[in-house]
Amino acid sequence: MDRRSFLKTGAALAVAGAMPSVARAQESTITFGGSIPMTGTAAETGLNVLYGYRCAVKYINEEMGGVEIGGQKYKLGLNLFDDASDPARATTLIQRQVDEGIGFFLGSFGSNIVLPTCAITEAAGRIMVQAGGGSDLIFTQGRKRVFGIFPRASLQFVSSVNMFKTLDPKVGKISIMYTNDAFSEFQATGARKTIEEAGIEVIDYIALPAQVSDVSNVLTTIRQNAPDILVCTTHDETSTLITRQMVATNTNVPMLYQTLGPQTAGYRDALGNYANGVVTQAYWSERATFECEYFGSAAKFAEYYAANFDRTLTYHMASGAVCILAYVQAAKIAGSLDVDAVRDALSALDYNCFYGHLRFTPEGDGDPALLGPLLVQRQAGDIEVIAPGEVASAKPIYPAPSWQDRA
Amino acid sequence: MLFLQTTLNGLVLGGIYSLAAVGFSLVFGVLGIVNLTHGIFVVAGAYAAMVLYAKLGMDPLLAMLPIGALLFAVGYAYQRTVIQWAISRASLVASLVVTFGVAMIGRNLLQLVFGPDTHTITPSYSFSSLTFGPLQIDVVRLVALGASLVLLVLLALILLKTHFGRAIRATAQQPLAAQLSGLNVRNLHGLTFGLGAALAGTSGAIIGIVQPFSAASEVAWTLNAFIVVVLGGIGSPAGALVGGLLLGLINAYTAQYIGPSLTQAAMFLVLVVMLMVRPNGLLGNAFGESR
Repeated sequence: MDRRSFLKTGAALAVAGAMPSVARAQESTITFGGSIPMTGTAAETGLNVLYGYRCAVKYINEEMGGVEIGGQKYKLGLNLFDDASDPARATTLIQRQVDEGIGFFLGSFGSNIVLPTCAITEAAGRIMVQAGGGSDLIFTQGRKRVFGIFPRASLQFVSSVNMFKTLDPKVGKISIMYTNDAFSEFQATGARKTIEEAGIEVIDYIALPAQVSDVSNVLTTIRQNAPDILVCTTHDETSTLITRQMVATNTNVPMLYQTLGPQTAGYRDALGNYANGVVTQAYWSERATFECEYFGSAAKFAEYYAANFDRTLTYHMASGAVCILAYVQAAKIAGSLDVDAVRDALSALDYNCFYGHLRFTPEGDGDPALLGPLLVQRQAGDIEVIAPGEVASAKPIYPAPSWQDRA
Repeated sequence: MLFLQTTLNGLVLGGIYSLAAVGFSLVFGVLGIVNLTHGIFVVAGAYAAMVLYAKLGMDPLLAMLPIGALLFAVGYAYQRTVIQWAISRASLVASLVVTFGVAMIGRNLLQLVFGPDTHTITPSYSFSSLTFGPLQIDVVRLVALGASLVLLVLLALILLKTHFGRAIRATAQQPLAAQLSGLNVRNLHGLTFGLGAALAGTSGAIIGIVQPFSAASEVAWTLNAFIVVVLGGIGSPAGALVGGLLLGLINAYTAQYIGPSLTQAAMFLVLVVMLMVRPNGLLGNAFGESR
């Protein structure tokens, strides 16, 4: 090989290596990169989101034969790695995929992971659509290419307080418990602000460490102060621990409200009948009446999912699936896979799908009026929507029976 | 009354810490190994109890016996092969790296078999509580404290009264002299490590009832065991008991009177202070004076 040929070949290889995923898409596959907790502390919900991603990709590839963008048919592919619930590992994985030229990223689960990883994708000019990070910091630091399906944490409590105000007997005092992490703390801050604005007194505002092994002493305080509602903006494992110890120490409150945990199979298995009466948030219900070209409806999404996957369906699967749908719909509107064009289309997206009315705020989080949480309560083993009133399938059970009566 | 309840909570929590740490303490004291696989044995015990309860309906407290026996065998084989090889070919420090590596392998294997989800064991009494006037106590945690005391007393009796215990102490104090006296030191190291693993496994059976666990929980239990040993002293059941109860009380008082978010900070602060002021722990090294 002479010098000229060598330089030509070298230059061609360098260009090929530097081409982002847009180039790969020319091969008729749109590849979504990212990391997700498949192991580690956030794995239970992380896997739920991952199954949602897989469900949407499988449906679009197998049932719809792919997706047509700008006159060309594309299949979808996932290039997701296990970040082991570890932000440091996640950032390494994401940086590597950025270097490899991936243009479209899906989010991990947990604000502590989404926050540093979205900073990398944003700086590299790539897009991230995620259903795993609600911390305000993700959306309030001026990023233009990060989109969240959920409203930011501090705006997630409006519907909850509206429900509290309708309860009889009247709610006068509330205790809040949160763990010392980016999501939980922001959600607790938002909850406190919204609750106090509604004229309800917050009598305890208790910070727990990020890793919790015992809450006996906190529950002693709760028994002494006897709030009407105990709000826990905690993650799955901590929520389970709190409820177990509440039962075991006979710590009764008229309403136990936990934002994460009661949705999972692990929580229900651990608590059995004691899970009845616990109120939680759900961002999607298969009973909702939304319809769209993908999956058909919420109920059909649940049906398709159950026929193809064996992991118990929670709203996280739907939230994960809708991340893919958002990308696909935005790319269709943009008519291309150009990262900037897809970003602009995502920003302006206003689309009804099986999940609900998909629209992002200018900061990139889900519109709180459209994508805020439903409130659900397990009643006699069934999940019932108790608020907002217009979509409620049952009235809240309040005050909830004592733990002894739920056994 | 709040102080009494807090103290009670601390003592009960401390019982769990003691039980989970005693095996670590024994291995550290006798073999001089900081066993970073310790948490894996604890969590493996919890998983084993979960399987026995789910498949055979065996109560986790009863399951402590077969789990102890199984982990004794695993611990013995592990020490006689992997750890012994590492120490004989490199140094005692190599055991730190080896046990760390095995812990990572163990964690991933447990995740592979049982999945990453959080598990719990829920026998009928797991939600029961006792009331003494205004004081409230979780039955399972009380059982954990009781089991902890029983196992620690049993271990103390074994170490003090039996030939096996005397041999372990002799080996810990002067390995060369013990060997010259006809003791099979390598075998005794294996048996001690097995005993440590068995105690960790049995504690796991109780921990599984007390709180949710997953393979990832192993790190916390190794760390807790380390703090307990630094606080209480190395090698003795009494040291583990004192260290565990102290850790439980620090945890409880900090949570109640300073703030629950600062419990871990308080634990590590005490750890640092102890290492500076009394590095051998409150009760010292049970085997150290003759070394």
